[in-house]
Amino acid sequence: MAHRSSGFWAEAWRRYRRRPLGIAALGFVGLLVVIAVFAPAIAGTKPVLCRYKGRLYAPCLGYFDRRLEPAIFAKDKFRGTYPKNLAAKDPESWAIWPLVFQDPYRPVRADEWPGRPENPAMDQGHPTWSNLFGTDQGGVDVFAKMVHGTTIALLVGFVSMGIAGTIGIVVGAIGGFFGGWIDSVTSRLTEIVMCIPTLVLILAIVAIIEKPSIWHTMAIIGFTGWTGIARLTRGEFLRIRGSEYVTAARASGAGPLRIMVRHILPNALAPILVPITFGIAAAILTESGLSFLGFGSPPPSASWGSVLNGARSNLAMWWLVVFPGTAIFLTVLAYNLIGEGLQEATDPRLREARK
Amino acid sequence: MPHHSAGSRRCSISRRVALTGLSLLFFGGCGQRTNEPRLVAEPEAPAAASGATATPPPAVEESFEPPALETIDRDARWIDRPVKDALTLLRAEQDAEPLKATVAEALTLRNDTPSNNAAILSALGQLPAEGAADLEARIDRHVAGDLGSTNPILISSNAEFDILGLTGFGLFSFDRQLEPFANAETVVSWQTSADGLIDKVVLRDDLVWSDGRPITAHDVAFTYRVIMDPRVPVPAVRSGTDQLRGVHAYDDRTLVFFHREPLATNVWNINFPVLPQHVYEKTWEDDPTLKDSPAHVALEEKPICGGPYEIVSRKRGQEIVLRRRDSWSTVKGKKVRDVPYFRDVRFRIIEDPNTALLALKSGEIDEMVLQPEQWTTQTIDDDFYRLNTKATAPEWVSFHFAWNIDTPFFADRRVRRAMSYAFDHDRMLEKICLGLYEPCAGNFPPGSWMAGPKKLAPGKQDLDKAEALLDEAGWTDHDNDGIRDKEIDGRIVPFEFTLLVNQQPFRIAICTLLKENLEQIGVIVNVRPVEVTALQETMQKRSFQACFSGWGSGTDPDTSENIWKTGEMRNYSGYSNPEVDRLFVEGRRELDRGRRAEKYARIQEILYEDQPYLWLFWRNSFYGFSKDLRGYVFSPRGPYHYSPGFGSLWKPRAE
Repeated sequence: MAHRSSGFWAEAWRRYRRRPLGIAALGFVGLLVVIAVFAPAIAGTKPVLCRYKGRLYAPCLGYFDRRLEPAIFAKDKFRGTYPKNLAAKDPESWAIWPLVFQDPYRPVRADEWPGRPENPAMDQGHPTWSNLFGTDQGGVDVFAKMVHGTTIALLVGFVSMGIAGTIGIVVGAIGGFFGGWIDSVTSRLTEIVMCIPTLVLILAIVAIIEKPSIWHTMAIIGFTGWTGIARLTRGEFLRIRGSEYVTAARASGAGPLRIMVRHILPNALAPILVPITFGIAAAILTESGLSFLGFGSPPPSASWGSVLNGARSNLAMWWLVVFPGTAIFLTVLAYNLIGEGLQEATDPRLREARK
Repeated sequence: MPHHSAGSRRCSISRRVALTGLSLLFFGGCGQRTNEPRLVAEPEAPAAASGATATPPPAVEESFEPPALETIDRDARWIDRPVKDALTLLRAEQDAEPLKATVAEALTLRNDTPSNNAAILSALGQLPAEGAADLEARIDRHVAGDLGSTNPILISSNAEFDILGLTGFGLFSFDRQLEPFANAETVVSWQTSADGLIDKVVLRDDLVWSDGRPITAHDVAFTYRVIMDPRVPVPAVRSGTDQLRGVHAYDDRTLVFFHREPLATNVWNINFPVLPQHVYEKTWEDDPTLKDSPAHVALEEKPICGGPYEIVSRKRGQEIVLRRRDSWSTVKGKKVRDVPYFRDVRFRIIEDPNTALLALKSGEIDEMVLQPEQWTTQTIDDDFYRLNTKATAPEWVSFHFAWNIDTPFFADRRVRRAMSYAFDHDRMLEKICLGLYEPCAGNFPPGSWMAGPKKLAPGKQDLDKAEALLDEAGWTDHDNDGIRDKEIDGRIVPFEFTLLVNQQPFRIAICTLLKENLEQIGVIVNVRPVEVTALQETMQKRSFQACFSGWGSGTDPDTSENIWKTGEMRNYSGYSNPEVDRLFVEGRRELDRGRRAEKYARIQEILYEDQPYLWLFWRNSFYGFSKDLRGYVFSPRGPYHYSPGFGSLWKPRAE
């Protein structure tokens, strides 16, 4: 399908490239992806790579999942602090350290890193060279939190809209293609789900689940956020299923699944991608809002919203507002610009209107 | 709530205080629970049962026939007990102490040193000179949560105790040193028989309810019957009352309390709130919930009050307005009691401490409890001192991590001790409590009579000891994943537990510190903030593994029996030690203060060894006050919850 409809997509890309804002937005999201993937190498207190007692380890992977952190360091009583322990317990060892020696989950203590003072706590944590974006009330470095929070921001957008997109396209496609009573059922289902208030549902689920995590939030946003996509898909399918090439496919004996996936979906995809892009922006905002209210990922969390939450009690700590606020704003703006660019690049009517 | 008239305010306050004490003891005690102010407002309904479990024969003995008064008077050797006026007491105390500053000086001070704090407390804590108080003033008080009920015997949350302190009628009270006395505003005489089994109280004859009917001894005896009826869902005040054998009114003024045993706690057991008999005697049998019938719904909105104030309006979730009633101080055209210092007391309900601080700074409220961060960083500039000042004093409120001993993790005492060694106490005190709170090592306040002379060493971090204790208890890393585990019933159980806490950033910060500390030695903690009422429910059901919570001390150490005795309702940890159980019973029976103190000191030592809690810190009182307020005096139960307490507050007349 990809090369068959390449003409359309290549054309769309050509048009998209003409929009400098759209390109900048794409670049920004790309940058975020890079930051998210390399977060433990950018800011952290665990070596990216080290040689210890004759073997190579990458303790920094522990930031992704604590099971990836080699148990030998726990056995040797490193107690979470690497720099001095490495040297003391194996003089032969060497390590490659993250660019910024700061932890997103705990304050760095005095002399943990040679010559670096203890992170300031309460309202004393102005941005300095040791703490680029300052520290929060607990003394945790805001820059490290922001870097590691990028993962959450991106994941929330992609995972929740991945779920929503899948459900929405399937439900919409079935309803729009078959019509009749099936359409009635899927449309009513869509309307019912539209009535569920996402925020309230998340609060309820968080109260019920034993160990609520960020994944639950993503799942709920995904499972409630597909209605717009479903309606759009249904509309597109209703429109396209009457066109000649679909009739031709049907006449040549193609089954419904084949027609839906091979013939209709590629032509319906462009308008559907637009609400998905906007949905990513909305999901990021929802997650930040939840963290801001204290219902997001469990503490100590490194999400942007939770940094903002720290500013609620003391607005004089401007760095707790400005940095995460800017990051959320720029990310949401970037996704909206991408969505808008996509819309204009793929919708011929908008293109005509521009001329 | 500066002063109510001396008499009225005293009564109400004393009763309330006593109740608080009781509630602490027996039921989950919203009031006692030392949440931050707003958090404190937790309804705790299922407490009723706890009292019952505490003492074996709680049901009213229907068969109890009070002997004739003549017989009692003939047989008993009466010992006179104190009948005092709380304001007079406080005035005498203040007259004996030299002033540390003038009012004008105190109002210009910044409260940044202990000597400035002392000067502020000394100068601004004074009672008014004759005619100096503005008797038409209104005070706007801050409460963190709304009322569950206005019925005096259904109270359980802090806000309810606050309101009842002003609107309720009571016979007894206690002073700043928590010594009990009968209130001279309501009581003529109080006597106890030499065998300690009977208390006789003579009420004043100039007491009326807010509807004009007289308050009599029959009201008290009636209330006792209602409280002890198992159909009535009394959350807090049944504990203590259930230790009585009976209460009998021989005439309108003579009231006799009969005890089962001569206990040191009898003096607290006879202190309970009072209902108007003429209002409830017709309605309570039909609706024992005291809440559901139309008549009770109407009373809930407009209760008949016996204290110096009555409720004049109530907007749910926003405010409660009380007004001084003239029939308290003036009966049959005669002035019989002092007029309370405030005409109106308005309770503003504001949950969020940050919002409350804004309201204080703009003069919308006159007082509030300050959080450590607020005290240290947000109340130090002109913006705050323009209208307000602040004061601090020690208070008997402590916080801890409670372990559920029934879980495989915390059944072993060595593990609980390891937790204390793992926790960075110093960092918490210094960085999170900002040096404002004292370390806490045990359940009784250091320096109080029940804590005993031996000073317990507060916890100190020692990760090596913590690891050694965990190794000894069998929690080592068997499967090489960096997390300690133990084989239990053939399955490898990793040491990973959930720590519940309410949603206050200050408390979450302390839990996060424990998480960080334990992770260093291979124990995983999931910090889980939950809403206050959900937290309480989980604790009552004991379906938690660990949680962060606190207690406010009761007036008597016996009040904490239901926290430590085996199987008690508020024994959320599931702690059980036969020696502690026995010592509590002995402590209650022991009448000599010195020997009693030995029992409780021993209990504290045992608890210290067993570590059912990881004790963290004593939270002192930190209050912001409007510069218009005077007369605040702190007790170990804060500035309000004793006698005169709130009753001593006043606002000066405009010059």
